[in-house]
Amino acid sequence: MNLLARIRRIPFWSWIWFILGALYFLLPLLATFNFSLRMERDVIGFKAYIRAFEDPEFLKTFLYSNVLALMTIIASIILIVPTAYWIRLRLPEARRIVEFITLLPFVVPAIILVFGLIRIYSSPVKIPFSDITLLKPLTTFEVGTDILIVAGYMVLGLPYMYRSVDTGMRTVDVRTLTEAAQSLGANWFTIITRVILPNIRAALLSGALLTFAIVVGEVTLASFLGVPAFGPYLFLLGQHRAYEPAALSFASFLMTWVAMGLIQLFTGGQGQAAGAH
Amino acid sequence: MTHLALKNVSKHFGDFTAVKDFNLDVRKGEFVSFLGPSGCGKTTTLRMIAGFEIPTEGVISIEGIDITNKAPSQRNVGMVFQSYALFPNMTVAQNIGFGLRIRKEKESDITDRVKEMLAIINLEKKADSYPYQLSGGQMQRVALARALAIRPEVLLLDEPLSALDAKIRVSLRAEIRSIQQKLGITAIYVTHDQEEALSLSDRIVVMNMGEMEQVGTPFEIYNFPTTVFSANFVGTLNNANGEVVDPANGTLTVDGVKFESATDLKSRKKGDKVKVAIRPERFSFASEIRKANVVDAKIENITFLGSVVRIQIKIGNTRFNMDTFNNPFLELPKIGSTEQVTCSKEAVLVLDE
Amino acid sequence: MAQTALNPKSSSPGSDWKKWLGVTPFFLFAILFLVLPSLRLVMGSFTNDEGRFTFANVLQLFQQQSILDAYWLSIRISAATAIGGGIFGFLLAYSVTVGGLPKPLRSALITFSGVASNFAGVPLAFAFIATLGRTGFVTALIKNLFGVNLYTQTEFDLYSFWGLSLTYMYFQFPLMVLIMAPALDGLKREWREAAENLGASTAQYWFRVAFPVLLPSILGSMILLFGNAFGAYATAYALTGGRLGIITIQIGAQIRGDVLHNPGLGYAMAMGMVVIMAISLMGYSWLQKRSERWLR
Repeated sequence: MNLLARIRRIPFWSWIWFILGALYFLLPLLATFNFSLRMERDVIGFKAYIRAFEDPEFLKTFLYSNVLALMTIIASIILIVPTAYWIRLRLPEARRIVEFITLLPFVVPAIILVFGLIRIYSSPVKIPFSDITLLKPLTTFEVGTDILIVAGYMVLGLPYMYRSVDTGMRTVDVRTLTEAAQSLGANWFTIITRVILPNIRAALLSGALLTFAIVVGEVTLASFLGVPAFGPYLFLLGQHRAYEPAALSFASFLMTWVAMGLIQLFTGGQGQAAGAH
Repeated sequence: MTHLALKNVSKHFGDFTAVKDFNLDVRKGEFVSFLGPSGCGKTTTLRMIAGFEIPTEGVISIEGIDITNKAPSQRNVGMVFQSYALFPNMTVAQNIGFGLRIRKEKESDITDRVKEMLAIINLEKKADSYPYQLSGGQMQRVALARALAIRPEVLLLDEPLSALDAKIRVSLRAEIRSIQQKLGITAIYVTHDQEEALSLSDRIVVMNMGEMEQVGTPFEIYNFPTTVFSANFVGTLNNANGEVVDPANGTLTVDGVKFESATDLKSRKKGDKVKVAIRPERFSFASEIRKANVVDAKIENITFLGSVVRIQIKIGNTRFNMDTFNNPFLELPKIGSTEQVTCSKEAVLVLDE
Repeated sequence: MAQTALNPKSSSPGSDWKKWLGVTPFFLFAILFLVLPSLRLVMGSFTNDEGRFTFANVLQLFQQQSILDAYWLSIRISAATAIGGGIFGFLLAYSVTVGGLPKPLRSALITFSGVASNFAGVPLAFAFIATLGRTGFVTALIKNLFGVNLYTQTEFDLYSFWGLSLTYMYFQFPLMVLIMAPALDGLKREWREAAENLGASTAQYWFRVAFPVLLPSILGSMILLFGNAFGAYATAYALTGGRLGIITIQIGAQIRGDVLHNPGLGYAMAMGMVVIMAISLMGYSWLQKRSERWLR
């Protein structure tokens, strides 16, 4: 009787689902890792990793992607923090429209976005109804392309960054904080840098890490805009190599893991999902 | 006649004792409150009656039938939760009819019963509303109707009013009591609010740290508390340290000032240290009528509390609060002056630790 | 300057428009890099070779079999992975929330889901090739254990409908876990107790209370999963190299070079995708609102 009761208390089906889920999660990782170790015949070793990391092309593209990610994060913060702050403080009537805009990237997937961006910015920007050119086509020079791709990444990360920052501001109640700081005689600059930013640090970090996870391995925008980023490099490597791509795939999984783990750490377990698919 | 009985009921969670040796007989139609601070075991006891917790020891029975190990769904005991726990996907009528539908009663009977319950709680117009369209007070009335619809043996209420505004709390409290009396149903009411317990109950069980401190009518609990805990938990109280002078006629001293007490001190000896308690409203300014317990008190402060004026006095070196009813002709003493105050022998309580 | 901007008096009706200056950079950004590109596609869809307005492109969308096939294939894959990932994700979320598994497993699963739902594109494709490709780990394992060669003895092919669906599932069901776990937490313990108290069995509680309460949330999440798969490009491209003609891959080909020989039709194809995504997002937010009303 006692034993029966104890057996009945074990959530049998829960364990089944969990184990199945764990298998689904882990098998591809295990397979990739296993494969990446077998570059040399009959020897298990890290040759593929060494080869992959030694490739100067890898270093170049990976660094470039990291710089892109960093630029995207900085630009996003500069754009979004004041906007979200201003809406909380002075312009609640703009909340709906701004939130709507931040949801748009869900409707316009990367492939559509890059399609539109290329079509618009591969011709010169002119003043309407005249022949005066303001800017030569962004896609025709390097800095222009970089601006375009950072802007594109900002769009992809917009929903996550905005929500992260906005939630952060709600939880610390920036309005009251601002009023308290004002009453103590703080000026605008001091309020933003000494009061607001430190208090939404966790939110900023999680938004930044999520953006990082989206940007570093991104393929669609990078390959269509023809920038030498890590995503397209890995794709091309996969066309004529076997082991190095597996090694880099496993490494990028670990990297995503670190980014997400850090988010968990900063936000206390509030899992988030982006979509760079 | 005993309707619901708890005999030697205990509940342990690991090393923690939530309820210890709880004994209670409840008559049919009686309204009993479990009163105590959070963590005193009152809710655990209620949940054992509902069947959500199984007692570690002891027996719970209704009409002499042991229900200690019965599943909650088989007990026919109605429960009202603090958070209402209305099913959000069902209308008011569907919520009230839920238990009957589970019991596979005839649809026409269910409709009638739901109508009857809606009339009792005065919410006929809200039959087709969803819970999110109701106010807190309305939701709790629906929850009450839902629990009563199944014609339960016992109605259990777990702090049903603590999520509501003060005003609604008072009016719904009266409504609960009148419905309970009209239906003649046995009710167990858990609360940490002494005013609620005093105003609603036939009997109150004061609980502390898993144990019953005192059981009695609201009158007994308030006027004759037997322990320091129940005296302090119910109402406001002045506490002082005293020393027994003469156990035979109940005299004692507080800071050298002599008091007479109506509490039986025969079990104590001269010189024993005791806890003395006096309720603020039992003090009054001395008039010629009373001879016992007339003492000098220094007026230290006066606070206006609306219907009551609270005067802080010092007798010997001990501070007491003294409450006197407010009226436009009240003459208040000057702060710093010394006045004679008095209280009856019955007001001087000597308590167990 | 700054002080006047913060002065409460600046919110008087007369200076109302000035408040909007604060959000101008954001709107400018959104117009330049989100609205204009989208508008360009819409306008392109209704423009013919001579630059005149036409419905021909949109009409042709419904006539050209290859485009319809691409949409249909994308819809099927997205629906399959939304339903499959949705059901499995729900069961997983159930098992760690109300299913009675130990607490640490929950945080492990949530962290893992956060990673997996963001692990997509080229690395994911490579991982599945290493797992279920012709020489993949699991392929070999099945061959050794059961003596069955997946590729010669069964219909299985990683570079096909089911293969791609299985790969998409890797980011689909973690997403479901992430959305459903909080929703399942929203089920109040008191509902279950109230149901039991009123005489309901566990099954009755689930079918009469829990499932109906969760349904908007489940359906909404599945729609979100649908959109998530529908817009995916990189994973499919890396896995099949463009052999499986889903709509995003067709659009990719159209961007690279005008394979349809009609730019207008290309725009219309992209716009059609946006329309489907928009419909699914609206469905999601409608259901989400319903669900929030209940699970507050």
